Amino acid sequence: MRSEAILSVRDLGFSYGTREILSIPELDVRAGETLALVGPNGSGKTTLLKLLNDLIRPSSGSILFEGRPAAGDPGLRLRSVYVHQSPFLLAGTVYRNVAYGLRVRRVPEPEIRRRVEASLDLLGLAGFKRRDAKRLSGGETQRIALARALALEPELLLLDEPTAQTDRASGERIRTVLADLATRGGTTIVFSSHDAAFAEALADRAAFLEEGRLVRIEPGRRRYAADLPSQAPESPV
Amino acid sequence: MNPFLGALELIVSGDREVFLIAGTTLHFSFWSTAFSTLPGLALGILLANYRFPGRRAVAAVVSSLTALPTVVIGLFVYSFISRSGPLGSLGWLFAPPGVVLGQTLLALPIVVSLVYTGLSKLDARFTETLVTLGAGRLRRLASTLFEAKYVLASALLNAFGRVTGEVGVSMMLGGNIRWYTRTMTTTIALDTSKGEFERALSLGILLLAIALAINALVHAAVKHEE
Repeated sequence: MRSEAILSVRDLGFSYGTREILSIPELDVRAGETLALVGPNGSGKTTLLKLLNDLIRPSSGSILFEGRPAAGDPGLRLRSVYVHQSPFLLAGTVYRNVAYGLRVRRVPEPEIRRRVEASLDLLGLAGFKRRDAKRLSGGETQRIALARALALEPELLLLDEPTAQTDRASGERIRTVLADLATRGGTTIVFSSHDAAFAEALADRAAFLEEGRLVRIEPGRRRYAADLPSQAPESPV
Repeated sequence: MNPFLGALELIVSGDREVFLIAGTTLHFSFWSTAFSTLPGLALGILLANYRFPGRRAVAAVVSSLTALPTVVIGLFVYSFISRSGPLGSLGWLFAPPGVVLGQTLLALPIVVSLVYTGLSKLDARFTETLVTLGAGRLRRLASTLFEAKYVLASALLNAFGRVTGEVGVSMMLGGNIRWYTRTMTTTIALDTSKGEFERALSLGILLLAIALAINALVHAAVKHEE
């Protein structure tokens, strides 16, 4: 894992009117690490993820992407992607959705086909290409949104509660894919979860938020891949 | 003969004047809707997507204009295209361009208002999704139009329906001239006043059929959107 910061948060504040939602004096996201944001509902996890992706702007302080201001940085826009807790799929087919970001980046069509198929396959959605994106279950929607993000091969992947809307099977698939991505390295992952055990298992570090404040950072165990039931050793009993 | 049966006979026999009047009406409606489409979409998108001072006030004014009486629009346009008006030299009064201009002004606030309302209802996650996937302004605009295509179709069909059924603009600016600017509604008004119910009824039936067809299309568009 590289140790330099891909994202640096400095004296960050975010408010709605006079109501302060988030206040973080300092936080670095290291390149290649998997960082979990852990906290209860309303602790500011989603707001922080959106701020890190420049989808909303801070009320005060700054966010730096590779040392430069993140606000309006085209590099951040093209090298990172954010996935909502309850993702929005665009009208049309699943293929159109997964190919959308690649078309924005003017990737050649044969390469788009290859990447779309590979990312759908990875998430167990090989037969979904021609399906209407608006007529899918919550778990399928979540996996397609993740496939759409992974097809971009982002350097920075920001995920809001990636398994919150899923059934058990979809959740398991997403956990496996993320664990594999984290183990392979090369992608910085920042994800939020209210499930501390899951977050710590998958992450290199876990940042705990409470009422918009960063209360502590703990090292994670990133043991999830090894602990998956399918890979667990048989009990001797 | 029973006026209703007489009206049906006019339709079934393909009475030339009845169908010419229906054609003139649809012709005017088509062009006025077409001319209101581009500025209507542009203003609707502007109101829905961009924050500027007075935006809510503009939206409220546009919404109020959808209820403007057609005779007021007729009067307003009349003052411009009558011989003594600033556009009098164009010769548009009591001619098709005058009717189309008036109906365009009637359709425009309807298109703007419905596009604005429809786009305002788009999920907030939609724009964030486009942004995070890297879409620039132009692609976001194109994607928004695609996402809201049924809302937009519904807005245009509503505008078309409104101008097809209006009387005031056609009467004041077209002059109800036979074989030239006579529309279904102006003919119905004239024939009824003369006691000639058969043709008025036949046009009424055709107008009702058009209104029902438009309503069915709007309903289908809205249902598809849901």
